[in-house]
Amino acid sequence: MDRVVNFLDRYFSGPVARLAEQRHLRAIRDGVISALPFIIIGSFFLIIAFPPVPADWAIAQWAKEHVLEILIPYRLTMFIMSLYIAYGIGHNLAKSYNVDPLAGAQIAIAAYLLTIAPKVMDGVGYVLPMTNLGGHGLFVAMLSSIFAVEILRICKQKNITIKMPEQVPPSLIRSFEALIPVAIVIVLMTMITVVLGLDLHSLVDKLVAPLVQAGDSLPGILIPVFLITFFWAFGIHGVSIVGTIARPLWEVYLAKNAEAVAAGETIPHVAPETFYQWFIWIGGSGATLGLVICMLFFSQSKYSRTLGRTAVVPGIFNINEPVIFGVPIVLNPTMIIPFVLTPLITATLSYFATVLGFVNPTYIMPPWTLPAPIGAYLATGGDWRAVILVFINIAISFVVYFPFFKMYEKKILEQEKMEETVGA
Amino acid sequence: MRILFVCSAGMSSAIVVNALKKEAEKNGIEMEVLAVSTQEFGEEVKKGWDAAMVAPQVRHRFDWLKKEAEAASVPCDLIPPQAYTPLGGPLLFQKVKELVG
Repeated sequence: MDRVVNFLDRYFSGPVARLAEQRHLRAIRDGVISALPFIIIGSFFLIIAFPPVPADWAIAQWAKEHVLEILIPYRLTMFIMSLYIAYGIGHNLAKSYNVDPLAGAQIAIAAYLLTIAPKVMDGVGYVLPMTNLGGHGLFVAMLSSIFAVEILRICKQKNITIKMPEQVPPSLIRSFEALIPVAIVIVLMTMITVVLGLDLHSLVDKLVAPLVQAGDSLPGILIPVFLITFFWAFGIHGVSIVGTIARPLWEVYLAKNAEAVAAGETIPHVAPETFYQWFIWIGGSGATLGLVICMLFFSQSKYSRTLGRTAVVPGIFNINEPVIFGVPIVLNPTMIIPFVLTPLITATLSYFATVLGFVNPTYIMPPWTLPAPIGAYLATGGDWRAVILVFINIAISFVVYFPFFKMYEKKILEQEKMEETVGA
Repeated sequence: MRILFVCSAGMSSAIVVNALKKEAEKNGIEMEVLAVSTQEFGEEVKKGWDAAMVAPQVRHRFDWLKKEAEAASVPCDLIPPQAYTPLGGPLLFQKVKELVG
């Protein structure tokens, strides 16, 4: 078993993890992450607009009358999240090339905006349809931002710039430096959107449609869940690897769910990142809160009890590195089994609970360090049944971890006994 | 001694930081420790740290984190997994001492 673990570490998890550090993937990951505060805060206005209280309460009446105004902060943050993300991707990609990050962010925004044709409205003037600035436009935002920064970078590296005499102040030189790449990007994007009349958004939509559907199915949930615990089993931050690839998709689900709620329609998707966070990763990746309970109340070894005591508070806030490296779960075949198994079980249960309508799908993004019952309640727009599901999942986690924990603890007890006899 | 920690979000290493501080205190060394995320690391490492320690779960980013640290002439190393627990203070302290030299 140890040999298998070592083999997988060297030839699979290690190389894949390094692959996830590829420059463009990293820029996308950091770009999406940079937009999360706006998504988190923006999403909370959905709770205010649709408060989880009986419809005849005064606050519900007030919210109903003012729903358009209440949702304005949401409309200008989460609803157009791809605009924020494009800026973040442009900034981070340019930075990785040692090119001025502000220039990168700006050129990315220009390329992205040029995928959307403005419309003229009577009495209003020019308007930019907002739909494609939201979750709907995320994949286009990723592609156009990368494209624009690549042009910027190539121009800089090949020295395709307008040269100014040395006496010109540096800030002026900088603005001239950007002229050629900006011209290339604007002309090319205008060709696509205006001259050829291509709607990149509907094109990319068709391309990613199978992916969007697959990621929302039970296998589409179980595969990332498995991979995340698999990487952690080797001590590598699983969410940061899998999330690099999957997070754009997860954000699209979240955006579409939020849009549906704001429009009063049925919520379409089961699997935004919030689903994983609040129903599966209770206590951290591997759903280790049940294991912490095992250590706190049912351990005979000194080591496990001490670890349980130090791990319980971080665990409640979904931080479990003390558990993963302390127990340890990393490279420990006995504990890897429940670590991988528990989330697969709770994910399956939560998937069916959501699909069958026992709990609301998630559409609000609370910060990930909230305790799971509170986070799940908020994420579902105030569904108390989500809280019950969380407690059921904690119970499952406890039951699955318990026998493996006892098996492993035997070894620790033997060790402690040996140390005592040696010490005495 | 000023030590910079880096992990995915700067949260988990904050727990380990306390273990390290306690151990340093026992040894009569005053230690200032800060935990940051990998995104913040490049900027922070320039601010005059004696050593940078990379959490084991982000070791797949070690290569470029080390480069960023080297650019600021800060010695940088991985934290061994056994030291990355609330109870791993002594081992971690030893590792830090080795790195600072």
